[in-house]
Amino acid sequence: MRTRRGRRWIRLAKRVASHVVLILACLFALFPIYFIAVTSFSALPIASITAHVLLPNPSLLTTASYNAILFHQSPSFLSLLENSLIFAGSSAAIGLALAAFTGFALSKFNFPGRRAFVYFILLISLFPSVLLVIPFYFMFANLGLIDTYLGLIIPYSAGAVVFSGILVKNYMDSIPDDIEEAALVDGMSRTQAFFRVLIPLCYPVLGLAAFLAFIGPYTDYALAHVFITSSDKWTLALGIYTLNSSDTGSMPYGLVTAFAIVMSLPIVVAYIVFQRYIVGGLTLGAVRG
Amino acid sequence: MADLRDQKLAVRLRREWPAYVYLLPVSAVLLLLNAYPIAYTIYISMTDFGTGGRGSLLSYHYIGLSNYLDTFTTGSSTFVTLVGNSFFWAGGCVALFLLVGLGLASVLNQPIRGKSIYRTLILLPWAFPAFITILVWANMWGYQFGIVNAMLATVGVAPVNWVLSTPDAAWAALFITNVWLSFPFYTVVFLATMQAIPKDLYEAAAIDGAGSFSQFLRITLPYLRPTIVFVGLMGFLFTFNNFYPIYLITNGGPGISTQIFITESYNDAFGAHGATPLYSIAAMYSVLDFLIIIALTVVVIWQTDLTRNWLK
Repeated sequence: MRTRRGRRWIRLAKRVASHVVLILACLFALFPIYFIAVTSFSALPIASITAHVLLPNPSLLTTASYNAILFHQSPSFLSLLENSLIFAGSSAAIGLALAAFTGFALSKFNFPGRRAFVYFILLISLFPSVLLVIPFYFMFANLGLIDTYLGLIIPYSAGAVVFSGILVKNYMDSIPDDIEEAALVDGMSRTQAFFRVLIPLCYPVLGLAAFLAFIGPYTDYALAHVFITSSDKWTLALGIYTLNSSDTGSMPYGLVTAFAIVMSLPIVVAYIVFQRYIVGGLTLGAVRG
Repeated sequence: MADLRDQKLAVRLRREWPAYVYLLPVSAVLLLLNAYPIAYTIYISMTDFGTGGRGSLLSYHYIGLSNYLDTFTTGSSTFVTLVGNSFFWAGGCVALFLLVGLGLASVLNQPIRGKSIYRTLILLPWAFPAFITILVWANMWGYQFGIVNAMLATVGVAPVNWVLSTPDAAWAALFITNVWLSFPFYTVVFLATMQAIPKDLYEAAAIDGAGSFSQFLRITLPYLRPTIVFVGLMGFLFTFNNFYPIYLITNGGPGISTQIFITESYNDAFGAHGATPLYSIAAMYSVLDFLIIIALTVVVIWQTDLTRNWLK
């Protein structure tokens, strides 16, 4: 009798401990996000903002920081956003096409030299991409492409190509060959079968590849910092970095966090809408059995 | 025999040639934007570009392996520090990722109320681009106005100059920030792996009188081993060259006590404060970083099925 009661106590204690651990983990995960949100709506002198974050006073909440970064900033927020979308959008489109072709060739063809090609792209992708900025700088200076749109879109497009190509390949591997063969029996060429049958089946992974190819340039500082010299080509990443390091006025954290919220918004929305595909796509390759 | 092989190759080529067409664009990209720049970096590392007194685009000379020899002899203290820091950074982070990830996954793997809510909340840091949240973390570690010091003050702890005072404080700030960025991934991966373990194994163990700790040790851990090895090694490779946390939070400081290869190299070439760009030294550290990563990858290929899947 006594032992049974003891066991029940142990079970209860275990359950409570589990919830405590999980609540602490959630607090750790959420606190910086909460900090960003509250600070962005608080145009307070910096010294008093910390107390305000821990215990927000509703009457002190304001959208002044958003107003400042969206409408009273030079270069204008719209110009930064436009440049970021040009760079990230075109890089995502080109990167997506490259990843789709690469994945198709590696998954559905057994061509001579395939093994050598895989080892070649593996070797090449091991060079840290941030450090490619150094040779790029001289190559693109020789071509007169520093501080041009094309000069950034070209290296950005190549950024995620190996990773995305392998991602698409692994996904295509899971599509039975019968499906492609049925299309061939129906009189399609292999190219037609690729575009009309395989590509639609790969939309989830292609979406993920596009997302990854977009987010790289969208949040790049290392290359943009070196390649962009005129402020009319500045991106959001350069904007927030500069704001963060230069603004020592009365409410800098308000400006930086408001910028962070607006800049993150499209990514957060995309993440929430496609969470299943993004989490599934990125973790699937890591789960081994 | 050789004839037969040639014939087989010809048949294979006739059937498989479109693959080359599909790989043409990506091959062009990889050659021009990866292979050539890597070769160019190796070349620059063998010149006096930036160190010869004239940091101009046109006046530098081939000097062979002098930069490397200098680094291994007279400048070896910097080199040893960089090696130590890079391995400490990657190894320390991976140890924490595995610890936190395994711990949270095993708690979440029990029948517990609100499991999916916990999982969703733990995954939320992932929704934000890392570059942005690292910048915000850099503010949170601020000495005078940072929220971390403000919270410590409420329990009576004196403010810590996280970034500039001691290497220990700087590493602590870096490790905590990077755990925040990465633990959702490791938790989800380990949880997914745990959920694939057949339940009857645990039932049988419970009947045999095994407690939950020994169940974890005897069933869960062996079952997770391939996943732990795989994500641990891949995480190590990724963290070894994870640029932004260090660049944005400590930028290698105090001194060079948190400098790793990738931040040292980038700062040598494009460092702030108008310093003379040391392109050849930057290129040399890039090459050394690359060589270390290649060696580590050989270990990964040897220890895991990484490329088997790619070659299938």
